[in-house]
Amino acid sequence: MKMNLLGNGAIAMGAIAAGVKFAAGYPGTPSTEILETLKSSEYSKNIHIEWSANEKAAVEAGAGAAYSGMRTLVTMKQVGLNVASDPVMCLAYIGIKGGMVIAVADDPGPISSQTEQDTRSFGAYAHLTVLDPSSPEEAYKMTKYAFELSEKIGRPVILRPTTKVCHASATVDVSDEIHDYTPEGFVKDPKWVIFPPLSYKRHIENFKMYNSIASEKCKYNNVETVPDTDKGIVTGGVTTAIVTDVLESLGVKVNRLTIGRPYPFPVSETEIFAETAKDILVLEELEPFIEENLQRLIKTPLKGKYSEHVPAAGELKYENIESIICGFLGLQTPETPSAKLNVTLPTRAPVLCAGCPHRASFYAVKLASKGKKAVYCGDIGCYTLGNAKPLETTDTCLCMGGGITVAQGIKTSNPDTDVFAFTGDSTFFASGMTGVANAVYNKHNITICILDNRTTAMTGGQPHPGTGVTITGEETVHIDIAKVLTALDVGFVKECNPFDLENAVKTVTEAALYNGVSAIVFKAPCIAVSKKPCTYEVSDCIGCKRCINELGCPAISLSSGKAVIDPVMCYGCGICETVCKPGKIHKIGGVRS
Amino acid sequence: MNILICGVGGQGTILASKILAESAVIDGSDVARTGETIGMSQRGGSVVSHVRTEKTSSPYIPKGQADLIIAFEKCEAARCLPFLKPSGKAVVSMSEIKPVAVSLGVMAYDSKAMEDYIKSAAESIFLDTDTLAAPFMDGKCTNTLLLGAAFGMGFINISENAIKKAMEKLIKPRFLDVNIKAFEAGIKAVSG
Repeated sequence: MKMNLLGNGAIAMGAIAAGVKFAAGYPGTPSTEILETLKSSEYSKNIHIEWSANEKAAVEAGAGAAYSGMRTLVTMKQVGLNVASDPVMCLAYIGIKGGMVIAVADDPGPISSQTEQDTRSFGAYAHLTVLDPSSPEEAYKMTKYAFELSEKIGRPVILRPTTKVCHASATVDVSDEIHDYTPEGFVKDPKWVIFPPLSYKRHIENFKMYNSIASEKCKYNNVETVPDTDKGIVTGGVTTAIVTDVLESLGVKVNRLTIGRPYPFPVSETEIFAETAKDILVLEELEPFIEENLQRLIKTPLKGKYSEHVPAAGELKYENIESIICGFLGLQTPETPSAKLNVTLPTRAPVLCAGCPHRASFYAVKLASKGKKAVYCGDIGCYTLGNAKPLETTDTCLCMGGGITVAQGIKTSNPDTDVFAFTGDSTFFASGMTGVANAVYNKHNITICILDNRTTAMTGGQPHPGTGVTITGEETVHIDIAKVLTALDVGFVKECNPFDLENAVKTVTEAALYNGVSAIVFKAPCIAVSKKPCTYEVSDCIGCKRCINELGCPAISLSSGKAVIDPVMCYGCGICETVCKPGKIHKIGGVRS
Repeated sequence: MNILICGVGGQGTILASKILAESAVIDGSDVARTGETIGMSQRGGSVVSHVRTEKTSSPYIPKGQADLIIAFEKCEAARCLPFLKPSGKAVVSMSEIKPVAVSLGVMAYDSKAMEDYIKSAAESIFLDTDTLAAPFMDGKCTNTLLLGAAFGMGFINISENAIKKAMEKLIKPRFLDVNIKAFEAGIKAVSG
């Protein structure tokens, strides 16, 4: 059956065809839609699907299922693999019984990530096979193959798509056949217990096994030789697809080596390629992974990132690739006639949505710390956008859950400063709780602000342990954040509604004065999971711009010097009414609950 | 065809791109590709969807090769014009969504200069979508309305039947009717 699928959807459909029975992950762009497609599929009732509390939990739960013979899929973004690296590294030694695919989406650019790290390098470091699809069609086939290979070698396999495969769609031929099997269940055996002597033995076995796989042909590595030229281009991932388009448009043929299985790095395909190709260009995004591995096997100096023929960082777009290839082949880069931009356009960076409760929470903290020395430690989520003008309430952002702990070091080295840590509800459960325990145990005098908007907002609104529902919509326990904080012996815990600005400022002031760890849970739902209660309008604006300069709400703009509110964008939060000193902003329709 | 759909995160560009890809396949394309902007930019940043209905390996349209731009916002139309072929067409919403930095006075939004530039560089049609789309779920069907306008102008080489079938497949039943009406209103807005 032909289906138009995003790369992530193709991975989900591939997993279904392979007979996946356990699927777990933590949301993260660009990987999120894999589990979402699985959940929405008609086959979902036969699969255990969960958003785990974090990536480490997902891999560990997945390992247990795979030990018991279930085909298992675990999904995450590249930085999620850092969180899961402990179980993943160990699992590379212990192995699995049911095929286990760890889908890790990399993000060249980066477009929506903290790092441009390369999971191919991680796979080589951990000793895990890495498959790198170049299109949604290939992602579908590769996913099925990844399960088979994993089961055959008894080790997890990493499937590593990048953003432009995950979020590109294509027409994919999806098979109706689903691999049928009955998982054997957990069978007790000393091999499931990691101990130094076993690790030593497995390290040798793994080294030998991957070395031998490196010499076996793989259908996802491809060599095309052209006898009348010694020029060769080596690619992997989406760059392979773009290079195909570029060469076709230039009307030239060169020797090509495409690497769909970057680890273990293919030896035999490289040998065939190197017989004809003597002048070689390596085009790849992120780390020079192919380049380094190829250089280990070929003596000719390569053209790539080290020789500065290819940029060290960022995406490789069509235009970059075309110009690099033309330089390599000694061709004139074709002039494509197109409009030349002759107007200055304002940049449009992402912003907190109109009506976003985070804006009110940040604003309350800012007001409460006015005139005092204060540092605001942010974290990963929509609320990282609190760094922008005019709020400017995010001074640091490091990694998931890092804000709470970074704040502790800042407070220690800046004792005269009030230090606030902002963490979202999903981030709190993913990796914030340990930082709270550290603060309480080590007597750090900080104020933790949990921005509880009842969803994982940045990735499109996934449920988490604090929401009371699972990925499938089934009701479950709703873990109460304030109770967790109290149980962790945080001395001051208060909940408040950030839109009740006066009370919110009072609560923040109290919390900042508290000697010890204090915490405020700002409770107001994300606009994506709540109903618009009303809208606001401005009448007889005096043009003081206070609303704009204080809040930076995207629904408010200036027209002939006066503030206007876009009625479609306005979500009726009413914070602008509170801020408008001349009292010119009014509610229209509905009631703000 | 190479079609580029651009706008501001949250405006519904992705649904428009999905409808085009799906309808191209219904009309007999072997493979349709799209490249989406999903992630942080969806929070009010610039977003672009690439749609390609003929056989290519990559989903991304090179500069100067788009046959059509459908823009949900004026400034974003201007930003994407370098993707358009010299003979390319543009269907542009007159809607102006000013970035927060513009409201703060850090940057300028020169509406007239943008409009002049678009007119000079492409065979373009401008639509007052704020008014035209208002009757359809308070403007939430701007995407299907703009598709209708592009189709009505004869800029999309896909059948009306296929587009409607694709809408049936991709839009939740309770929102289908209003979207079909918005699509038809788009056709009507450019006729005569």
